Amino acid sequence: MKAFDCAIVGAGPAGMSAAIELAQAGADVVVLDRADRAGGQIYRSAADSPLPDAARLGPDYAAGADLITRFEQSGATHLAGADAWHLGDDGRILFSYQGETRELHCREMLLCPGAMERPMPIPGWTLPGVMTAGAAQVMLKSDAVVADGAVFAGSGPLLYLIVAQYLRLGVQVAALVDTTPRQHFFDAVPLMPRALQQVGNLRKGLSLLREIRASGVATYRYAEKLEVIGNDRATGLRFAASGRQHEVSADTVFLHHGVQPNLNMSRAMGLAHHWNSGQMCWQVTVDAFGQSSVPHVSVGGDGAGIIGADGARAAGRVAAQNILFRLGRISKADRNQRVRADLNDLSALKPFRRFIDCLYRPTEALRLPRDAETLVCRCEEQTLGDLRKGFEQGARDPNALKSLTRCGMGPCQGRQCGHVVTGLLAQWRAESPEEVGYYRLRSPQRLLTLDELGRYGTVQAEAAK
Amino acid sequence: MKADVLIIGGGIQGCATAYHLARKGASVIVVEKDYSGRHASGVNAGGVRLLGRDMAEVPLSKASMEMWQTLDEDLGHDTGFRRQTLVNIAVDEMDLATAQAREAKMHDAGFTHERIIDQVELRERLPHVSPGCVGGVISDLDGYAIPFKATSAFRLAAENYGAQVIEGEDILGLRRVGDAWLAQGARHRYEAETVVNCAGAWADKVALMIGDNVPLSHAAPMLMITARMPHFAKPVVGAISRQLSFKQFENGTVLIGGGAKGFADRANNRTRLDYAKLAAACRTTAEFFPIMRKASINRMWAGLEAYMPDNLPVIGPAVNASRAFHAFGFSAHGFQMGPVVGQVLADLVTGGQCRFNLSPFRIDRFDRKVL
Repeated sequence: MKAFDCAIVGAGPAGMSAAIELAQAGADVVVLDRADRAGGQIYRSAADSPLPDAARLGPDYAAGADLITRFEQSGATHLAGADAWHLGDDGRILFSYQGETRELHCREMLLCPGAMERPMPIPGWTLPGVMTAGAAQVMLKSDAVVADGAVFAGSGPLLYLIVAQYLRLGVQVAALVDTTPRQHFFDAVPLMPRALQQVGNLRKGLSLLREIRASGVATYRYAEKLEVIGNDRATGLRFAASGRQHEVSADTVFLHHGVQPNLNMSRAMGLAHHWNSGQMCWQVTVDAFGQSSVPHVSVGGDGAGIIGADGARAAGRVAAQNILFRLGRISKADRNQRVRADLNDLSALKPFRRFIDCLYRPTEALRLPRDAETLVCRCEEQTLGDLRKGFEQGARDPNALKSLTRCGMGPCQGRQCGHVVTGLLAQWRAESPEEVGYYRLRSPQRLLTLDELGRYGTVQAEAAK
Repeated sequence: MKADVLIIGGGIQGCATAYHLARKGASVIVVEKDYSGRHASGVNAGGVRLLGRDMAEVPLSKASMEMWQTLDEDLGHDTGFRRQTLVNIAVDEMDLATAQAREAKMHDAGFTHERIIDQVELRERLPHVSPGCVGGVISDLDGYAIPFKATSAFRLAAENYGAQVIEGEDILGLRRVGDAWLAQGARHRYEAETVVNCAGAWADKVALMIGDNVPLSHAAPMLMITARMPHFAKPVVGAISRQLSFKQFENGTVLIGGGAKGFADRANNRTRLDYAKLAAACRTTAEFFPIMRKASINRMWAGLEAYMPDNLPVIGPAVNASRAFHAFGFSAHGFQMGPVVGQVLADLVTGGQCRFNLSPFRIDRFDRKVL
């Protein structure tokens, strides 16, 4: 079995940046990524876009192409299409690659699982035709597919970005329904002066909003009481804004209200996590270098708390330098000197992040379902009412609730419902999310055929010969 | 806090005991260090199995099986029980010979609930079984339940009769003072006339506090469950000599067991999986049921379970203290016995005796062995 100095899981901005640093320093590094091309979510297909004019997606996306090229030339082993399904805290990784389960060992592991969109369980959110803004991005970046006449609802930079990208490409947008509450603007004002240190980022955001406004697309602000209209599939969105009820007809409804760390790898490994009350989500507990509660496992990028692509690149480089130190390749003094600039940049990002987090923090009305019949667990079709009944039968812990109701037992392993369940139990128990906790997760990280697992071990034995 | 009976352990044995005692009018407190059904009782394979039991267990298991048939109504809560024939497959003539030898022994003891079937009947019952298999043994009384639901059902029914279940409470010390048991928990103190040890994989520690030594070990039997599949197997499937064990639920998911053990980390309250052994279970399953090859494994897990050296439980009074009773060490087949064990313990606590011969389950049965 091949043993590496470092294995990186995830080839997004953090993973690629870390791999470049490690490979440059001569470390034997392998990067596993599920996708056929490196890039992660944010830089998906940035180096081989199917779009005739990918530059219209913006300069940040274009910057991804350069990083991908540098990564591909770095000398790091890139296992594209390697889907890790077990990460052991002993440094053993089991992954599916070309239909077989393979195994590798590493001295140091760097998880770069990235972020996923926060579910928005409004009435009708599971109807066909309802997707996330992230799904709109994936369709656009991977396949150059767009949905004409869609309504976009929610809040946050990624929502505005995809609307602006749609408009630049000349795609019809039915409406932008912005749910950012008026109060959030007041709350964010005191954080503004320090956020201004990151004037570039602020300007980027403002220009997006200006671009949308200038396009003349119907925009509703301070929207509340969102509800997808439709019986068998979405036909539009109903909501209240400026004291009136509105209905916008659309075949496609894109929802978004922020992203949260993708927890499944780090949870299944048993790393320590804590609740981030600013971002209203769980995140892995790491030190300044990204080192987790298991010293030889580090976490970089959005997986350790949402920081965005630029922050993820810096965090990846910092984690890499620390790993080089742990591998004995550089001294502590060298590490400290090499990470100084990136650590400064990361702490400079913080006031801006706090401003964004405050302005766009997910409201409880959108974070938690309201109606008893609204689905919480899509895989096992468990509604709010089902969960409430389970709670009343004494299931106060997320795992007890899972065992009793099957909520979170399906193939997504709680990716969709985990945060909602923590939120609901916290509300019902009148306790903090930290006291409530999260699901105990296990490998496999994804569905695995009996055939494939059955060959595990025999494949290894043949390889050893 | 004061009660007639303090039960340590909120698994199915503890909750069933609480239910039967509370129904008889006793005041009962159950303390559970995690949450009710957190370990073996809530995460086992849910087999409600009479087939293939050790002869010493058959009387208890038979009585329990009768209780399972009406348990949902009796408790007023859903246990997820479904009566479903269990088939233990004979893969070759040697297996059949084993089955015939057991049948003769069972008949001598007066038990007739197991029946040998031939190859034709096997294929009728399990059309997807590989053609080489020659027959099997069945029991029509058997079935399965949803473990966490069943444990919860007992807990809820016990609570309906006034029992108190205190979760997240670890018993740190236990002493007998005069006619009372005094227990020191991490959160509260307890006083009871009688103490019952249903602490599963931690029961040896509780036994020690009571005053009894016991050669208990613990392990982590592993399970896997697939995503939904088309229905292909109605009976619950086992095998006479192979590590083959699965059942398909009504929702189409297939639970695969077989007894392979992972790594039990009792001190940290967790288990790890042994993928090489799970891979072997996959191969065996696919060998005898080729339709399973393309099945997708959705989850794999293991639970902490208590084992005795002879794979028989401890059920009965403490030997070195009065007004203390044990029920633990079920060695991965205690779930089915929960209903009757609760009744047996309630009888012992309230009347000092029960209708079964419990001598094979004495806690001191290994003390007399000299090597």
